[in-house]
Amino acid sequence: MHGAENQPTEAAFEPLLQFEMEMGAFLSDWNHCDQLSTFMARMISHNRTDPVRHSNFFSSALNELLEVSFRSGSPDGRIGCAVYRWGPTERVELTFPCPPGQRQFYREAVSKTRDGDAHARYLDSISTDLAPSREAVLLDLSINFDANVRLDESDPPSITLVVDLPLEGVVR
Amino acid sequence: MSTTAFAVPFKAEFDPNSQEFAISGVVRPRSADEIAATISMLKGAIEEVRGVLYVNVKRLVQMNNTAYHAFARVLLDACRTRSDIRFVVVTSSVVGWTERMFAHLNKIEPQVTVEVYDSKFYPGQSFVENTSFIPILRTQTKMTWRHERAILPRHGLRPGMTMADICCGIGDFAMLARKEFQPARIVALDHSKASLAYARDVASGFGVTDIEYTYGDASEMLLEDSQFDFVTCRHSLQIFNQPDVLLKELFRICKPGGRVYITNEKNSHCLGEPRAQSIQWTYNEVAKLFSHFEMDVELGPKSKRYLVDAGFDDIIVESFMVTNLDGDPHDFADIIAAWENVYAGEMAVKRGDPPEFIDRFRQGFRDHIFAALHPKGYAGWPIWAASGRKPL
Ligand SMILES: C[S@@+](CC[C@H](N)C(=O)[O-])C[C@H]1O[C@@H](n2cnc3c(N)ncnc32)[C@H](O)[C@@H]1O
Repeated sequence: MHGAENQPTEAAFEPLLQFEMEMGAFLSDWNHCDQLSTFMARMISHNRTDPVRHSNFFSSALNELLEVSFRSGSPDGRIGCAVYRWGPTERVELTFPCPPGQRQFYREAVSKTRDGDAHARYLDSISTDLAPSREAVLLDLSINFDANVRLDESDPPSITLVVDLPLEGVVR
Repeated sequence: MSTTAFAVPFKAEFDPNSQEFAISGVVRPRSADEIAATISMLKGAIEEVRGVLYVNVKRLVQMNNTAYHAFARVLLDACRTRSDIRFVVVTSSVVGWTERMFAHLNKIEPQVTVEVYDSKFYPGQSFVENTSFIPILRTQTKMTWRHERAILPRHGLRPGMTMADICCGIGDFAMLARKEFQPARIVALDHSKASLAYARDVASGFGVTDIEYTYGDASEMLLEDSQFDFVTCRHSLQIFNQPDVLLKELFRICKPGGRVYITNEKNSHCLGEPRAQSIQWTYNEVAKLFSHFEMDVELGPKSKRYLVDAGFDDIIVESFMVTNLDGDPHDFADIIAAWENVYAGEMAVKRGDPPEFIDRFRQGFRDHIFAALHPKGYAGWPIWAASGRKPL
């Protein structure tokens, strides 16, 4: 796997919070993305150096991820989200059902976040796309939030986006 | 946890006079259609302005990529068709991601620039911010606390409340309040990173981890509406050039039925015996000196008026006097010595006062110290504590 060299072992990540719900229920209201990200951000940020600003930053990032899973739109199965912490980094693991036809799309989108031209792609998306693609959203996370994004496909038909957010260092 | 409403709606406004389009709050639409009205307001603003349009996102709490792309689209398109116009996106240093996100636009079209607005705070900020002032702030709080611990319950502070201390300085009040009143949650906000660093250091030295120290601008806070039972703001309204703006924010974050508690001085009423006249002259001059820097250290007795105007009811105002008899008179003397250094040594010099004035000005502080340390002397520093209830 790319970029895994400097990663802590999985065990080092301490679990903070998680939720799971039926995909159908999640999809019933767009505001769930906002509500869940705001709530979870507040819960996990209280013991960060600057809880208010950490929460604001984290909510921004988590909301984008939830919106990605919302837009993937498969009503069957469950969505799960777990947040872990290791030092200055929070890890979000977002698991949601993904039709086989979309898997390749996610693989590519994730791998593009690590490409040398990620920044150029991101600028290109801002300057030409009418609406952000899910790919642009992942680029946004890696560029604006210094996120490290991976894809875990070990539990089909669900996929898991594993996103490390070193926000404690960004919120200064 | 409190049951605050999650989705704070957003607001957009265009002011043709200042050529400023401002958007604030939480903007997380599912599609650009949901914000079509705001997008056309922005387009209209671009039509109307000459030269430069300011896009104020200082109070933008959240904006998803969908909204960001939609707004970026409008700005970038305008750059391409209108070479006569510039865009200045004004972000805040408090919300870090807005600066990052909007800075990309400049890479695409140099006509868009991003300015990080760092509130100049109050005009006299640098005087009080000086780190040499820190021990004095501690001594001040130590002396006022003797009174305030008894006063606060009269203004409604009870154990288990959610509280916020805005303009918390070095955080010692938050520490004391936490210990005495065991709030369920306590947020302490200031716009001085140095003071906050100091505050966090002290807290962790005592093993205290539950005070949420946060960097912010009191005149536009990231904190959501109606969150706190008790909001304190001590010795700070008096040093803002627009106390009403600050008070509006305190009102906003307070729960309906909750209370906002403020303390302020009336410096010209500092007093002492013996040498009363010299002391009184100097403190009259202190008030004038501050007003030269647009600060009103005479605000104390105006508290009621400010609270009424901000929409509070059930207003309580009381005053108390910190004196040399409250404890060790040397503590009192130390405070006055620090005032002399900053007011006579820095502020008066900055105002360009002649040496003869400064000498006489200093003498009043020295006489105040003399009174404080005199075995039969009395020295006082009056403070007004006031609070109001946010109507239900
Ligand atoms: C006179 S001190 C009072 C500090 C503290 N409340 C006390 O009683 O010791 C004023 C405080 O207001 C802070 N301040 C100034 N402008 C601010 C702003 N725009 N937002 C938040 N805090 C601000 C300063 O950094 C300073 O700590």
